[in-house]
Amino acid sequence: MTITLENIIPTFLENEKIDSSGIWNNRLVINKGEQIHIVASSGRGKTSFMHFMYGLRNEYTGHIMLDGKKIQTMNAAELAETRRSVHSIIFQDLRLFTANTVFENINIKRLLNPFHGAERIREMASRLGIENKLHKPVSTCSYGEQQRVAIIRALQQPFHFLLMDEPFSNLDEANRKIAMELITEEVIKRKAGIILADLKKLDFFEASRIIYL
Amino acid sequence: MASTTGGKKMEKLSYRSIAAFLNPVQNKTSRILSYTGLGIGVLLLLCSVQMYININQLLKEKSPRRNGFDFISVTKTITNENMGKDNRFSIQDIRELQEQPFIKDAAPLLSNQFRAKASAGNIIPFSTDLFLESVKNEFIDTVPASFTWQPGQADVPIIFSADFLEMYNIFAPAQGLPQLSESSIGVVNIILECYGPGGIQQYRGHIVALSDRINSVLVPENFLSWANQAYGNSVNAPAARVYIKTTDANDPQLLDYLEKKGYHVNKDKTKFGRVKQVLQAVVTGLGGFAVLVILLAMMLFSFYLQLMIARSRDNLQLLITLGYSPGWLSKTVSGRWIPVYAVIIFIALLLTALLQFAFRNIVLSGRDELQPYLHTGIYILAAALLLLCVTVNYRLIRKLLYRL
Repeated sequence: MTITLENIIPTFLENEKIDSSGIWNNRLVINKGEQIHIVASSGRGKTSFMHFMYGLRNEYTGHIMLDGKKIQTMNAAELAETRRSVHSIIFQDLRLFTANTVFENINIKRLLNPFHGAERIREMASRLGIENKLHKPVSTCSYGEQQRVAIIRALQQPFHFLLMDEPFSNLDEANRKIAMELITEEVIKRKAGIILADLKKLDFFEASRIIYL
Repeated sequence: MASTTGGKKMEKLSYRSIAAFLNPVQNKTSRILSYTGLGIGVLLLLCSVQMYININQLLKEKSPRRNGFDFISVTKTITNENMGKDNRFSIQDIRELQEQPFIKDAAPLLSNQFRAKASAGNIIPFSTDLFLESVKNEFIDTVPASFTWQPGQADVPIIFSADFLEMYNIFAPAQGLPQLSESSIGVVNIILECYGPGGIQQYRGHIVALSDRINSVLVPENFLSWANQAYGNSVNAPAARVYIKTTDANDPQLLDYLEKKGYHVNKDKTKFGRVKQVLQAVVTGLGGFAVLVILLAMMLFSFYLQLMIARSRDNLQLLITLGYSPGWLSKTVSGRWIPVYAVIIFIALLLTALLQFAFRNIVLSGRDELQPYLHTGIYILAAALLLLCVTVNYRLIRKLLYRL
C-alpha cells in the first residue's frame, strides 16, 4: 500500500507557506512501513493535511492517491472502507463521544473491524493508566486521559497507516513514552506505517523520514 | 486488507452496537400517535379495499352474461314530447352506439312488417296475433344448431322468451289451456300464419330454445328479411329496440351515456349499477381518507426521525468519521423500525380479517357469494404497505445521513 501526494496545495494557504514546504506542491511517495515525522509550526496546515489524507476535507488542488486511487473522488462507501482498514487516525481535537463511557468510545471503533478481542481494551487502558476510567463517561476525564482514550481507540482496527496529529500534546514525558511504546508495538504487529505530525521534532519517535511542512 | 488479522472473535455489528450513541427523543407521544395513526389508516384502507371487492362480488352476475359480456336491450324513452314522433333507431344512431368505447357491439332488433298470427292447432285451442323479431345470432344466449332457415323451408324455428312462457303458464289455467314445461314446449306445433299486402302463407313453427335474455319471439334473421319483403313489400324498417353488447352493463360511463342520449334501459339489468356506483363511491372515499391518514401518520413519524437524527447529529457524524458508512447506518437505523411496522400492519390485517368474517357471518348471515376470508389482494396490499413504510423510512434516514 502506497500513498502518493501530487502537488497538493490547500486553497486557503498563503503562497510563502507553500513555497518553503516539503509537502505542499511537491511529489511525495509514502510506503507502508515507513515512519514519517512531519514537523510544522502552527498555521502551516498540519491539521488540514491530516484531514486531507483521511478524506475529511477536499479544499486543495492536486491529488492524494491510495494505491493510485484518488481520495477526493471516493464515495461514502469507499471512504468508510478506507477508514475501517487502511487509515486509522488520532485527531488533534480527539473527537470522542463525550457522553459515552471510555469503554464504549473505544469499543465502537473495535466493533467496526476488530483487530483485537474486547479484553485487549482493558490491557491497553491499564498500560496507559486509565483502567479505572473505563466505565466512566469521557466528559469526566481530564484532557490527558481523553488523549489516551483516542490513542487506544485508534489501535483497535487493522490499518496500513496510522495518522497522528499532535497525539501527545497533553501528556507528560513519562506517559508520552509509554504511549509511543504501545503505538510502536501495534504498528509492528500490522507492519504498518506512521505519519506523525507535531509542532516540533519528538526525540522519542524514531522516524525514517522527517519532513518540514 | 485482512479485516481480522489478529482478531479473536467476530462480533456482529447491529443496531445494538450504535444504540448508545443515538440520543433518543424523550417525547414518546408523537411516536405513539404516529404508530396509532398508521394502524388506523392501514386498517381503514384494508377494510375499504376488501369492501370494494365484496361489493363487486355481491352485485355481479345479475344479468345473463355470455363469454364475459352483458347484453342489454335499449329503447328510446317515450315522453309526452316525443310521443307522436318516430322513436326508432336510425342507422346513424346504431353506428354511434357501436363507436362508443364501452360498447362492444350494438345490433338492432328487426321486427315484422307484416301481420303474423300463431295458433297451436287442436291440442291447445289458442290463437294470437304475434310480433316476430330477429337479431344477430351472437346476441342470443341460446342458439341451437337448428335455428336456421332456408328460402322455401316450411319449418320456422323460434326462440321464445322464457318470461313469456312463464306469463303463459300463469294465465293458461284460467283460459282452460294446458300449462307447459320448458322441455315440453319444443313439441308443440305452432301454426304461423304470415299475411300482408304480398300474400298469405302458413308455416310450421316450433320453439327450439328459450331465451332468458331477450323478451321476444325470435326467428332467423334471413327469414324475417325475406318475409318482410314477401308479405310486407318493404325492406327492413328501422328498429325500435337495439341490443348492446358490453363488458359491464353496470359501467357508470355506459349508464351516463345512455341517460344523456335519452335511451331507456331495462332497469332490472342495470339497477345494481347505481347501487354499486354509490357504494363504490363511498368505499373509494373511505379508502382515500385512509390513504390520507396513513400519509399523515408517516409524516408525523418522519418528523420524529428528523428530530432524532438532528439530536444525534454530532454523534452520527463522528460515527461516519470513524468509518461507519452512511449506507450501513441508514440500513441499521431504519431497520430498527421494521418489526414495529410489521406488528402494526399485522394487527391491522388481523382486525380486517376478523371484520370480514363478522361481516359475512353476522351481517350477511353467511351468504355464499362472499368469502369469509380476505381476498389475496388484501395480503398483497398489506405487504406492499409494509414495504412502502420501510422504504420511505429508509430513504428519509439515508437522505438525512448523507447530508450530515
